[in-house]
Amino acid sequence: MSEPFEPKIVAFVCTYCTYAGADLAGTSRLKYPSNVRIVRLPCTGRISPMFILKALQKGADGVLVSGCHPGDCHFDHGNYHARRRWTVFNSLLQFAGVPEERVRFSWISAAEGRKFAELISEITEDIRRIGPFEQYHALIAETGSPAPL
Amino acid sequence: MARIGVFVCHCGENIAGRVDCSKVVLALENHPGVSVATEYKYFCSDPGQEAIKKAVREENLTGVIVAACSPRMHEATFRKACAAAGLNPYLCEIANIREQCSWVHENPDEATRKAIEITRSLVEKVKRNSELHPIEVPVTKRALVIGGGIAGIQAALDIANAGGEVVLVEREASLGGHMAQLSETFPTLDCSQCIMTPRMVEASQHPNIRLLTYSEVEKVEGFIGNFRVRVRLKARYVDPAACTGCGDCMQKCPQKKIPSEFDCGLGKRTAISTPFAQAVPNKPVIDSRYCTYFKNGKCKVCEKVCQTNAINFEMEDEFLDLEIGAIVVATGFQVQDTALYGEYGYGRYADVVTGLQFERLASASGPTAGKVQRPSDGAEPKTVVFIQCAGSRDPAKGVPYCSKICCMYTAKHAMLYAHKNHEAESRIFYMDIRAAGKGYDEFTRRAAEEDNAGYIRGRVSKLWEENGRLVVRGADTLLGRPVEVQADMVVLATAMVPQPDARELAKKLGIGCDDYGFFSEAHMKLRPVETATAGIFLAGACQSPKDIPDSVAQASAAASKVLSLFSRERLEREPVIARNNEATCSGCWGCVLACPFNAIEKKDLTDRSGNVLRRVASVNAGLCQGCGTCVTFCRSNSIDLAGFSEKQLFAEVMGL
Amino acid sequence: MSLQEHYRSQARELLAAGAVKMVVGYAEGTTPERRRPVFITEPEECSRLVLDARCRTNLAGYLLREGLLSDGREIAVYLSTEGVRTINILAAESQLSSAQVRILGFEIDRDEVKAMEGKRAADFSEAILAHKERRKKQAPDELAAKLEAMNAAERFTFWQGEFSRCIKCYACRQACPMCWCRRCVVDNNQPQWVNTSSHTLGNLEWNLVRAFHLAGRCVECGNCGRACPVDIPLHLLNRKMTGEVLEAFDHYPGMDEHQEPALASFRKDDPETFIL
Repeated sequence: MSEPFEPKIVAFVCTYCTYAGADLAGTSRLKYPSNVRIVRLPCTGRISPMFILKALQKGADGVLVSGCHPGDCHFDHGNYHARRRWTVFNSLLQFAGVPEERVRFSWISAAEGRKFAELISEITEDIRRIGPFEQYHALIAETGSPAPL
Repeated sequence: MARIGVFVCHCGENIAGRVDCSKVVLALENHPGVSVATEYKYFCSDPGQEAIKKAVREENLTGVIVAACSPRMHEATFRKACAAAGLNPYLCEIANIREQCSWVHENPDEATRKAIEITRSLVEKVKRNSELHPIEVPVTKRALVIGGGIAGIQAALDIANAGGEVVLVEREASLGGHMAQLSETFPTLDCSQCIMTPRMVEASQHPNIRLLTYSEVEKVEGFIGNFRVRVRLKARYVDPAACTGCGDCMQKCPQKKIPSEFDCGLGKRTAISTPFAQAVPNKPVIDSRYCTYFKNGKCKVCEKVCQTNAINFEMEDEFLDLEIGAIVVATGFQVQDTALYGEYGYGRYADVVTGLQFERLASASGPTAGKVQRPSDGAEPKTVVFIQCAGSRDPAKGVPYCSKICCMYTAKHAMLYAHKNHEAESRIFYMDIRAAGKGYDEFTRRAAEEDNAGYIRGRVSKLWEENGRLVVRGADTLLGRPVEVQADMVVLATAMVPQPDARELAKKLGIGCDDYGFFSEAHMKLRPVETATAGIFLAGACQSPKDIPDSVAQASAAASKVLSLFSRERLEREPVIARNNEATCSGCWGCVLACPFNAIEKKDLTDRSGNVLRRVASVNAGLCQGCGTCVTFCRSNSIDLAGFSEKQLFAEVMGL
Repeated sequence: MSLQEHYRSQARELLAAGAVKMVVGYAEGTTPERRRPVFITEPEECSRLVLDARCRTNLAGYLLREGLLSDGREIAVYLSTEGVRTINILAAESQLSSAQVRILGFEIDRDEVKAMEGKRAADFSEAILAHKERRKKQAPDELAAKLEAMNAAERFTFWQGEFSRCIKCYACRQACPMCWCRRCVVDNNQPQWVNTSSHTLGNLEWNLVRAFHLAGRCVECGNCGRACPVDIPLHLLNRKMTGEVLEAFDHYPGMDEHQEPALASFRKDDPETFIL
């Protein structure tokens, strides 16, 4: 019998809000699945769509992109720029056939430790349900070699 | 060749209780580029830090990963330890295996696996870290204060008294701002002029303050500690050095019927004038819009009567370039255009006035010498109706916010009026009484209980003239019935709004505005006097409606920010900033638009003879705050962010 | 006089008077159906200029050839509305000065070619506005509609099939008037964000990144699709992006030369229904 599927999830978050929210989930000892790997960025404005593609190339079954709520950006309006990019890239990914459950976007403030824990649980559950991103994995396999470090 | 040290902290049981730290060490010690991997109970403790320092020295490490608590907790600690051992602090990164691993996952195997992966990906990142050095910028110890109202004067005096140089710019011909227009001030009823004018004089005579009245900020460039500001000195047509302020010119000027701005149109002034009698400096300017000579080419009466030859009709605007280290913005407010409220009859009935006009009527230095008279016929009103929130808290027609001072000044008006006229009767229509402040609630109660102010809770729906009096119809919501009051005069507590050109100034300064046009603070709670642009601070009602004590307190706070900046010779800034590759930049300026801090400038690339070949983006290290929004915008990958570089992040993601 | 003749004589006059140093237009191609760009500097050569419904290529991109406009002189160029919008974008992105571009405007309506009045890009604002309004109402073409109706897995399979044929020749990039970066992101190998190998994954990444970089900038001239040697329907991706920025931000690329790029500006109330 094969092992149950455990998805690989990569989260790109800004250090001021969502990263701090994830820390708060920790200090509050909230529990969530261990599938998520967090990449810390100074601001959502720094989160390039390329990161999402590279996470998928590394076999991620799901990606989360998250930062400060509109109006809360430490850099005043980095997240407003990010929101426009996300709108466009999200639509592009879906048009290319990447299911919307696989790439999610959220606002999580430094006070929303609970929202972070719940969202990670929810996303992990969603992706467990729809299974591994086999179509993408097939493309990775076709490249023949793992990408160089 | 990378030589990375990996230090896995147990944090007592906090990490080790869930994560098998030995396994993490085992997994990392043979990872390419890792020279040493080790674990310890508390790396943040003295012996823990010593162990890291020792490894840095002995193993000649090129990078350090501490797998421990959140970087928000101890990044600074470990970077300092690395620096002490001779390793550039920016070559140290923290793998967060406590808050984001051991504390949130129950299964030890899963937690251990995750800790290994987190650490490994950061090892990949740190291999690509480069040495960064704090950016040092010099500080020009001269402050610019924009606005010569009470906030600007207070900030200027505080800075100047502490030894800082100040340039105080005021666009009107005199210091004073709105406070100079007020009659008495709540909650103590001391005369505004009496407490204001000494401050004005002090500011004008202070050896450390350079006062530029009738001047405006034209252009602002540069960054914290190093601003370059151009100020326009508007043509006064009167040489202030020669003028003695005798006032003969004002006496003789034939243009005598110009509505006085200072008196809110209730009094008249001449074309050559000072805004008010106690003006500082007490030197008139010629208003070329009204001057007979400027209109018809003939007159020059003032020139003839001036005994010091101070009049000069040929004068032109001049520009002054200043080197400035810090800026305090204290440009104040305006009162909302009351014509928006047709139902209150402002502009239609002469005896409907604004609160500020009432101040002028009640002021001893006002057009009626302090006697409250109806503008229409000069009669003394018996009944005065005050309408509060005439614009404030009205999202439909006015502004959604509370203007904060109106409850208090309306109570004050009722009191002043009662003191001047013992037969008087005041009726105040209000929504709520907001009297939070030291001595404020007592003050409004005194108005109602001792000074015959009749408060009616409700809004006014209509106002009309009948037999030479004004009839005010409204609702008394406490009694649940309509009311009509016969009044001789109506005073509207109009909303405080931003200066009409506030957005323009914000653009010049590179600071933000809220939806209304009030300047934005960097953080509403924790950085209320700073703007998001380093080195620019806010004071007074240009940020939000404020009363005098709040404005003064904020002005002193802004001054203390300026002084703490001036306490250093040089400024150290985080080196996490963007840098542009000029070879690949195409100069599309998307980054310039996207940058929240106006930190990206256009730079000419020239050949040997100085001909411009092309223009590229150039990041101003003094202004850049390191958000990286420009990096993501740049299609050609020309801009990069130190500390979170493309190479580092690529490696971190590919290491997952 | 036919429009072809009319513009030939205009081109001749402009060159003869020295008002422009070059005319960029269309000439006969290698087969009767084809037209190719031509760069004319002598008045007597203007008889080579052709203008008919087969003149589809957006010629605006040729103006960016290194050094061509650096002497400050003017160039006349045959442009449709898409071409004029391209000039506006290139001016907004500081790649050229619209004052150096003398436009010979035309529009193709089915098989007919019509004149478009105006000399400078700014003269065409009404026509561009009309295009924007039309674009708002435009329904997706048959293939796009089919794709929209598919589920994600089917769409992925569709694109997998298309991108598997891509040979990474970068003809799409070469043909695109908006691809003028001095260094394209794929040519940056430190780090190599886009896989350069021509496997399907690398091809998918390249095409997604290209579409993203064109979002809010593509004028839908069709140069890329015509240039693709393996007939990948690239226009579908770009059309999707154009539709998205139009719907979400009311941004139609190339309205005028002061338009801010859709992805370097924002409104506080931009839509965000997809954000959790």
